[in-house]
Amino acid sequence: MKFKAYITENGVNLLEKRFLPALEKTGKTWHLYLTRDHTMFLHNLLNGDGIQSMAQFRKDSLFHDYRISSQNDDRIAFSLDLSLLLRALRSAASHSSAASATRLEVKLVKKLPPNSTQPMPFLTLETRGFKSAVIQDIPISKPLSRPHLLELQTALDTAQDIPQTLLQVPDLSQLLNLVDRMKLVGDVVDVFISKHGDLSVQVSTTLISLGAEFRRLPVIGEQTNAPAEDQNLSAQTRSTRSISRGDGQSVQVSVKHFAKSLQCHLARPDCAFYGIGPQGSCLTVIFQFFIPGSRQTDKSISFHCRLPVLDSGSG
Amino acid sequence: MSHLGMEEEEVPDVLCQLENVQGLVDALTAVRWKRQQDAVLELSEHGIVLIVEESGCLQAKVYLKRELFIRYDYNARGRPRFGVSLGHFVDCLNAFSVPGQSSVVQIQYPGSDMQVLLKSVDSLDASICAEIRTRIPDTIGWDYNFEPAGTNPLTFTVKSAALKEAIEDLEWPGSSIQIILQPDPPSVTLRAEGHGDLQIDFMYYVNSELLVAFQCDHQASFKYKYKFLRATTSNMPTSVIKENRGSKISIGRGGMLKVQHLVSIAKPSMSHAYVDSVSYQQPGRIAHIEFYVKPEESE
Repeated sequence: MKFKAYITENGVNLLEKRFLPALEKTGKTWHLYLTRDHTMFLHNLLNGDGIQSMAQFRKDSLFHDYRISSQNDDRIAFSLDLSLLLRALRSAASHSSAASATRLEVKLVKKLPPNSTQPMPFLTLETRGFKSAVIQDIPISKPLSRPHLLELQTALDTAQDIPQTLLQVPDLSQLLNLVDRMKLVGDVVDVFISKHGDLSVQVSTTLISLGAEFRRLPVIGEQTNAPAEDQNLSAQTRSTRSISRGDGQSVQVSVKHFAKSLQCHLARPDCAFYGIGPQGSCLTVIFQFFIPGSRQTDKSISFHCRLPVLDSGSG
Repeated sequence: MSHLGMEEEEVPDVLCQLENVQGLVDALTAVRWKRQQDAVLELSEHGIVLIVEESGCLQAKVYLKRELFIRYDYNARGRPRFGVSLGHFVDCLNAFSVPGQSSVVQIQYPGSDMQVLLKSVDSLDASICAEIRTRIPDTIGWDYNFEPAGTNPLTFTVKSAALKEAIEDLEWPGSSIQIILQPDPPSVTLRAEGHGDLQIDFMYYVNSELLVAFQCDHQASFKYKYKFLRATTSNMPTSVIKENRGSKISIGRGGMLKVQHLVSIAKPSMSHAYVDSVSYQQPGRIAHIEFYVKPEESE
């Protein structure tokens, strides 16, 4: 089992400034899953409950001179504490900016830690300059065995299904601001999504309800036109009518999970889409990234989260 | 819903719109001295008064005059009163306050189920809504009628920031604070005895910047519980300190203490250089906050 690559400047930028800070908000422990062509950061895929999050990069958007080999079809996965990786990357980035001729190498190693007789696996970041080298060892779990790796791959495959209808949500940070206030009110948020571009989020308790409604959002996938007679009704009446007509669906998710999904705006996506999974199985958020300076989707990066549904709701 | 829409659409008692939600949040937070607090709202043609009370010893009122609102439709007879949780009310209002943006919030009472309804009215395509359940208010246990102590009022005005700081400094000595007003030399003394002694003097002639006004024709001295005194300044909005406002303190018959603050609810001004002059030019855009503190029983 071998893995060795050099992180490109763009890769350092993507990980250190954007993705790792965003992923870290979702959870502490992540699987790093490396294949011949892709690098993936996966959270909670094997446990089931809690928010699931997947960020995938084509190898050349992060690395050059990428070499990987393993008996599991050249696939390696292990879990690690993301905050350690972020810290190591930050320090490496500050070193490499100080001396321009440095290369940032990342590799898997087995080392004998101090006061131990058992060699342990590490992910090592090595910055090598003309005069000095800085080596940082990040402790990682033992690489996943073949059955576990297959399990992870299966979980990843099933987490790929895309909702039939996706709504483009404007201004994630503003919505996050609102959801942060919602946390004070209750623990569960009702999310309603319709095929004609209505999205509403609402927290209710016996004493209080607080919510926001967005109308006429851009729709991807299955869409219908909003019935004209519904235009002037209250948000609640419209969503009830829409659910009974079958062109809207509502699910309940944890406010905390919802806030975490919004915190992914730290990765600076160009667009974000929310949708409800088949049969109301989950609430899915898909982030879209453009090729810098264009409006074309950057296919080398994909990032999405799945929020577990607490109750299948009225949908 | 569809038939006889005109008759079923009852006109609410009050429907008002406010531009600066943050100002309202600040004013209400000023009277929020603990997590769970019940407030009573009283509506009238002059505006809205919010009242909070604790242990029969401390009462606070926030006066929101109708001039504060950009729209104020009042349709009730009598003065409707209802109770809400102050915490819920502030938390909901907070959701309408977008940093760096002025947003208009509409407040309506009652809804179909006697709720308070809050709604943002800036845009048709994105809106925030909140509903807060109300309850029938308790009758207030004792009368906070403030009557002057004699023919001349006992009162002084001190810079709000200095008052807050003085009360914070008095925390360590003990649970009871003595306030002494004396005419000669004209001064106000705050004194605490407990784990130690601490005395803070405001001398009228020595520091007229701090003690802005002073009126007292005979010595008066009363003791107040520290926790009640602290409640009068603990959540003072930062805008009060930034705008260098003063707080007026009066002592009435029997030692009843009245503390008054002014909180600006003006729409945030575009140009910061003129913030002060603008807010002073809009006397209507000020919320008055009053605290009443009963003195401790003298032994």
